[in-house]
Amino acid sequence: MYRLWTYIFRYRYRYLRGILCLLLTASLAMSIPLLLKRAVEGIEQGLPFSDISLSLAALISVALILGVVRAFSRFLIFNVGRDIEYALRNDLFAHIQTLSLRYYQRNFTGDLMSRFVNDVNAVRLLLGLGILNVLNTPVYYVYGVSAMIAIDPGLTLAALAPYPLMIVFVRAMSRQIMARTLRVQEGLAALSTRVQEGTSGIHVVRAYVGEDWQNAGFATLNARFKADSIALARIRGLFLPLMKTVSGLGLLVILWYGGAQVIAGRLSLGDLVAFMGYLHLLAWPTMALGWLVSIVQRGRAALQRLDGVFQAQPEIIGGADDRPGQVFKGEVGFHNVDFAYHTPDNGHQVLHDITFTVPAGSTVALVGRMGSGKSSLVHLLPRLFDVSDGSISIDGRDIRTFSLADLRRGIGFVPQEPFLFSTRIADNIAFGMPTVDFDQVQWAAEVASIGHEIEALPKGYDTVVGERGITLSGGQKQRLTLARALMADPPILVLDAALSSVDTQTERAILRALRDSTRGKTVLLISHRISAVRDADLILVLDDGRIVETGTHQALAARGGLYAALFQQQALERELAEL
Amino acid sequence: MDTPREPELGKTYDLVLLRRLWRYVRPYRARFLLALVCLPLTSACVLAQPYLLKLAVDRYMLQREPEGLALVGLLFAVALLGEFVFLYTQFHATMLMAQSSLADLRRDLFAHLLELPARFFERTPVGRLVTRLTTDVDAINEAFSAGTLTIFMDVLTMTGIVTIMLLLDPQLALVALVLVPPLVLSLNFFRIRTRQNYRAMRSRLARINSFLQETISGILVVQLFAQEKKLFGEFDRRNRDYRDASHVSNIYEASLFSVVEAISSVSIGLMLWYGAGQVGSGVVALGTLVAFVDYIQKLFVPMREFSGKYTTLQSALSAIERVFQLLDTPAAITSPDTPRRPQQVRGRIVFDHVWFAYDDEDWVLRDVSFTLEPGEKIALVGATGAGKTTISKLLSRFYDVQRGRILIDGIDIREWDPKVLRRHIGTVLQDVFLFVGDIVTNISLGRTDIAPAALERAAQAVHADRFVRQLPKGYAEQLYERGSNLSAGQRQLLSFARALAYDPAVLVMDEATSSVDPETELLIQDALTTLMEGRTTLVVAHRFSTIQNVDRILVMHKGRLREMGSHEELLGRRGIYWRLYQLQYSGHESGGQASQPARSSESEGLLGGETE
Repeated sequence: MYRLWTYIFRYRYRYLRGILCLLLTASLAMSIPLLLKRAVEGIEQGLPFSDISLSLAALISVALILGVVRAFSRFLIFNVGRDIEYALRNDLFAHIQTLSLRYYQRNFTGDLMSRFVNDVNAVRLLLGLGILNVLNTPVYYVYGVSAMIAIDPGLTLAALAPYPLMIVFVRAMSRQIMARTLRVQEGLAALSTRVQEGTSGIHVVRAYVGEDWQNAGFATLNARFKADSIALARIRGLFLPLMKTVSGLGLLVILWYGGAQVIAGRLSLGDLVAFMGYLHLLAWPTMALGWLVSIVQRGRAALQRLDGVFQAQPEIIGGADDRPGQVFKGEVGFHNVDFAYHTPDNGHQVLHDITFTVPAGSTVALVGRMGSGKSSLVHLLPRLFDVSDGSISIDGRDIRTFSLADLRRGIGFVPQEPFLFSTRIADNIAFGMPTVDFDQVQWAAEVASIGHEIEALPKGYDTVVGERGITLSGGQKQRLTLARALMADPPILVLDAALSSVDTQTERAILRALRDSTRGKTVLLISHRISAVRDADLILVLDDGRIVETGTHQALAARGGLYAALFQQQALERELAEL
Repeated sequence: MDTPREPELGKTYDLVLLRRLWRYVRPYRARFLLALVCLPLTSACVLAQPYLLKLAVDRYMLQREPEGLALVGLLFAVALLGEFVFLYTQFHATMLMAQSSLADLRRDLFAHLLELPARFFERTPVGRLVTRLTTDVDAINEAFSAGTLTIFMDVLTMTGIVTIMLLLDPQLALVALVLVPPLVLSLNFFRIRTRQNYRAMRSRLARINSFLQETISGILVVQLFAQEKKLFGEFDRRNRDYRDASHVSNIYEASLFSVVEAISSVSIGLMLWYGAGQVGSGVVALGTLVAFVDYIQKLFVPMREFSGKYTTLQSALSAIERVFQLLDTPAAITSPDTPRRPQQVRGRIVFDHVWFAYDDEDWVLRDVSFTLEPGEKIALVGATGAGKTTISKLLSRFYDVQRGRILIDGIDIREWDPKVLRRHIGTVLQDVFLFVGDIVTNISLGRTDIAPAALERAAQAVHADRFVRQLPKGYAEQLYERGSNLSAGQRQLLSFARALAYDPAVLVMDEATSSVDPETELLIQDALTTLMEGRTTLVVAHRFSTIQNVDRILVMHKGRLREMGSHEELLGRRGIYWRLYQLQYSGHESGGQASQPARSSESEGLLGGETE
């Protein structure tokens, strides 16, 4: 709840204004039954018409002013709720962007999304409608009850007798409603899972003629869900009639007991009308009290879940940079690097004692079997993960001393899975740049040899990725992400199997173009294809997290080790493809 | 994000939708009728209360007549009780009716889903289907329980109030109601504006959420390019847009509430003003004025809630539309008019000039012909994309061929009753799919005519029995989603047990590519031999041991059947098979590492499974 108070505190003046308006609203609202009473009494006692007119004129003007003030109070308070919702969402977004990749591996997108959507919404309800009623109810009660007591204490007591009962009911019911709602939600989740399973496993269901079995399973859950829903609706359906009856009971008391008082001459008819008016005013805040309980409960639970996100700390923090905005020369060094995805003592160690140096401007290729650690190795360079032991340097400086932004801007990283945003192609290529420089976009696309294919699209560079009818192939996506990395002209380029969906010839052509246009760049290259890595200045062969062979293509191919076996196999594959 | 359109009420199209929905309500029409009957009764009880008040004031209080007051009070109590009973009955009946008919709707939707073509599932995200059965059906329920019927009741009550007021005192009533027409006009204005604003809010919220989803999915790229600030700016813009729209909605919401309240009070004031003179001249009874105050208050409350209910109704209509759209999607493969249901299947399979494409003319299989004699075992081999997996899917009619035909025991499979056909073909797919539930159910897949002992025997025969017995609850052990509490090898063994328990005449098998530990690998090989025993078997082979166990090998290349023969024959030919063999299987022979075929690269290339 602490976080909530900080938000409320931030908007305290606006809440204060809302509260003042609310108080004014309540005062004005409470004067209406009083004016009504004066008018009715006037009529009852046959007072001159001008006297009655005065009260009624006052009543009408108060009603009009009240309308405006009431609108204002609600508007003010609801708006603060919306503003806090806005601030909360922004804060959450800013926060999750700082969280490390590890966090995203451990948490599901769906779960984070639901926190953003449902929990933020629950907090907003708490801060708008919730706060409004938290403030409203006591104010109305204090005003209303004291006004009623002023007229007739006995009648007040009698008329309000059912109200405590109502509060007890509401509390008990909202607890029941909470419990039953939970059951219905669980039932819904079970149904969802069932549908999801039935459709994901449709081939098995069909192959084994399991339709009846699936239908029967669904029917069981469906029946349970129906029963739970009915149980919930039964109690929820009780709510409104009960509320109406309880406030009606108050009216009955006024009619019966108050009527006798009027007949006995102890009470005026005007008093009776005023009483009815006050009761009418108290009915709504009392009903709202019931909902309030569940709104507050839901809001608190939501806040707790949001707090869970806020408390996740970024694991990778940039160094305090003494030379911001510097440009790397591009010498990369790995020094006795060990790495495990979890803690080194209980997790599987992915990299063992990796040491090598890439001189500025040269190309180093990494090859090895699936799971040999190539991809993990290059992920360490932009600090997507931190080494467990050892260090990595750029231009002789430990990468942990650079600010994250400087480090990452100096490295053009093309990941294995091409990810594009659903914006224009030009925006995607210029993603890392402050503005879209069209000439440079074209240049980058050209080097990644995707330029002519983009231009062939009806809308060219303005084509929105993922738009209906336009589907990019895996290879096209990969080349786009390459163009994106080239855009900022980084001194270091990392290609993490970045051209795997591009055919062999094109991959070679791209790499050749890269070499020509990126002379002076340090390149770390992972590829499965010998054809792509054979021109590298140095080839590192990884096996089970260790560097097992090092050398040029010529040297390694002659050695008869892992690299040579790979080379032979690919020659065969090529032959086969040509058949 | 799909933002469904919101149809306007009153179009004939909506009537068609409602008529279709009625088919589901019909079986429960008694409850529906009960709810309808309760509507006017509730209204009557509500309307009686102010009138009783008037009686009490005029007849007893003003006449100083204490005797009859108790009777009026009693009547008032009866009216209260009546209101409670009828209102609750109406709620209850509506809700029973709604839940029952919607459960039927859900049942039909699910059953229909299971009949839809494989292509449909390739194009439709599972999440959307889940939404149809849950969120959309719930939106319809919302309209039943909170919207439609209460709107009728509100209208009924309001009409009743106006009528009674007019009957009691037409002139006074006219004064009291003079502000109603302008209020209705302004409410209508609010309704239109609120709806527009509501749409804007919804699409802006959708934009926030899709942006968020994209950022989370692409967080790697965001962080690599250090673009957190830029994206925050874009998020903030979307967030701000939504906030601005919500501020506007707050204006409407706050004003709507306040305007109705204000007009209600002003109407009371005006009515009393006019009434004061009339009472003075004895035309109007004081009790009437008091009753009017109550009537006016009761008249205005439903008006406040009308626009909210209208919105509920509209979103229900668009949900109904989406739900029926799904129901209208034609089912996959239909049974012929006079389906063939042979009791005995020998298992002779003929592919007769088969052409097949998933899309248009993008042929995956080109003119494939071959014959399997009953009991014969063949292996399909080939590089990725050669069409092996496709062949295994055609036999059970997951897809129908475009040209040519497939015969089993001389009958075109399209003439078979598809369910009977599938009963005789045991299919083991590459990705083992396990359901949430216990192990027994995952073997029997709900078939009750296989005895538990037979299921266990099947499990024993394929070596699944041992690991199952080691689980804490044995065969009753619950599996998580997709069987994630079992290893890949265990999952495969279970899928073998499943196929064996069904004892099919024909076995179609797409071997899993996932590598398992050497010990399990041996178990799998042995289990496979058991499974193929005495059945016509078509296996997409990824294991050398499998190839060794078959009678013939068919070599697929680029959609065509290129080579056929025994292992030795094909090797001797030094063609496609020879090369494939060098690539995929040579490691087994030389090194004997069953679990680690010579996969030296990550490339999906020739080694991975097909991903059609």
